[in-house]
Amino acid sequence: MAVRGLLRCLSSNFSSVLPSIAPSVQHSPRLLTSLSYLHRTLATSSRLSAALKFTDKHEWIRVEDNGLGTVGISNFAQEALGDVVYCGLPEVGAKLEQQDEFGALESVKAASELYSPLTGEVVEINTLLAEKPGLVNKACYTDGWLMKMSIDKPAELDALMDEKAYERYIRSIED
Amino acid sequence: MVLQSLCALRAQAGASLSGLPAALEHGGPGAGLVLRSLSTDVFRNLALEDWIHDHVDLRSRGVLLLWRNSAAVVVGRHQNPWRECDLRLMRRSGVPVARRRSGGGAVFHDLGNLNLTFFSSRGGYDRRRNLRVVTGALEALRPGIDVRATDRFDILLDGHYKISGTAAKLGRTVAYHHCTLLCSADRRLLSSLLRPTCPGIHSNATASLPSPVQNLLDNDPSLTPDGILQQLAEQYLTEWGVRGGSVVAVQPDEQSFAGIDRSVSELRSWDWTHGRTPKFSVHTTLELADPTGAEVCTATAHLEVKSGRVESCELSVPPAWLPGAACADLAASLVGARFCPLEAAAAAAPFLQSEPRDVDLDARLRNLCENIVALM
Repeated sequence: MAVRGLLRCLSSNFSSVLPSIAPSVQHSPRLLTSLSYLHRTLATSSRLSAALKFTDKHEWIRVEDNGLGTVGISNFAQEALGDVVYCGLPEVGAKLEQQDEFGALESVKAASELYSPLTGEVVEINTLLAEKPGLVNKACYTDGWLMKMSIDKPAELDALMDEKAYERYIRSIED
Repeated sequence: MVLQSLCALRAQAGASLSGLPAALEHGGPGAGLVLRSLSTDVFRNLALEDWIHDHVDLRSRGVLLLWRNSAAVVVGRHQNPWRECDLRLMRRSGVPVARRRSGGGAVFHDLGNLNLTFFSSRGGYDRRRNLRVVTGALEALRPGIDVRATDRFDILLDGHYKISGTAAKLGRTVAYHHCTLLCSADRRLLSSLLRPTCPGIHSNATASLPSPVQNLLDNDPSLTPDGILQQLAEQYLTEWGVRGGSVVAVQPDEQSFAGIDRSVSELRSWDWTHGRTPKFSVHTTLELADPTGAEVCTATAHLEVKSGRVESCELSVPPAWLPGAACADLAASLVGARFCPLEAAAAAAPFLQSEPRDVDLDARLRNLCENIVALM
């Protein structure tokens, strides 16, 4: 489900590229840039999907090279939410235990709470979301990330689901 | 499910309803349960909602909670109360502001307004179906009445007047959808309170969409809150195929709902009601005056407010009126104080009393301070 979700994210990138394929000298440089962006997105997305761990509350966390964890919500979650109109995120410096509520996303459907996937401290929040909460829907695994946190108890990562396990989990809830 | 014995079902219900008074268990297992809160305190009723959300097993049964509050303004989770309502007028009138955990816009509650909360599993979350219960009940009471749910899940009377607004919260496995229903609310009070505390607020907090409203009682004097309440309960039970159900009255106290008192305190706390406001700024003009009013002056104030506290304050006052240094010191004294008249005045007091000043200068500084505090 997550992979199909990723592909859906990608296909929406691709469809935004298509209008650029118009026979015009002016468009060509933009087309090239769009294609190279798409290429990069494809490459990074496969890397992303391998590194993501998921919670049963539909958050994902990705361990970065610097040891911090980037947190967001899964495609399943953003679809269920509908259009996000407001992101209520924590303060930088907030200390979170695993499963602590760290914020809420308000969508046209409802306000939905966000739960911390791990124990750690909030190091950065995605300030783009203040002006563009819709990024959570459009790019839930990339630009729509919610926060970055320190990983105080790395062992907690082992208990989280990898992509395949998360896919199975989604199927089980939908039944 | 039909084959399960009544005992087994009651045992199941007992396990999931632990903490609720025994009377509730007599509501019986089934697809739906209707509760009516005996409290009219907005904070206690919001806490009751949270309690049911957190403690009741809603996988096999939904719950409808019916409740009414004494006058209060309830803002959505991510809203700015200073922008949504006139906090000064509310303080004078003794009307509290509450912040709910669901999203959406600001609403006015009083005893003439009915609140309905539909609890369900996340999978069973269906706002349209819930609103059909409301429109169905009204149509049963008054055949031919024109009530319709919109795309935004408002309910409109005669295609024009809003009689109900909706908000919702999705938890991990459980959801609730609540809505208001204007029966005989004080519309004059409603419109006088639902306006900003001060001009010049800039914020990305979720905004309300103002709508013309009407009371159902104005449309038909037979549509009383109690009558509507009873019909809503019947309609809900019918919709979910529950036979022989009834409305169970509950007193949302600590004895029956362990932990609710703590939740009430949290919901009542300034840090939740005001402090949870997304960062905002106030940029506005101040009309300053001498004690006699003979001389006047226009100044501007710019404040940044984060977590309900003054993060920065800039005052632009013509130097002929007040020395820049004194204004800057007054502004600095407010930084860190809550954006609240009592606390801000207390924060400025040491500076205002700090040194003997020329009488006129002192009067003008105090006047400036009063004008800033009046924004809060």
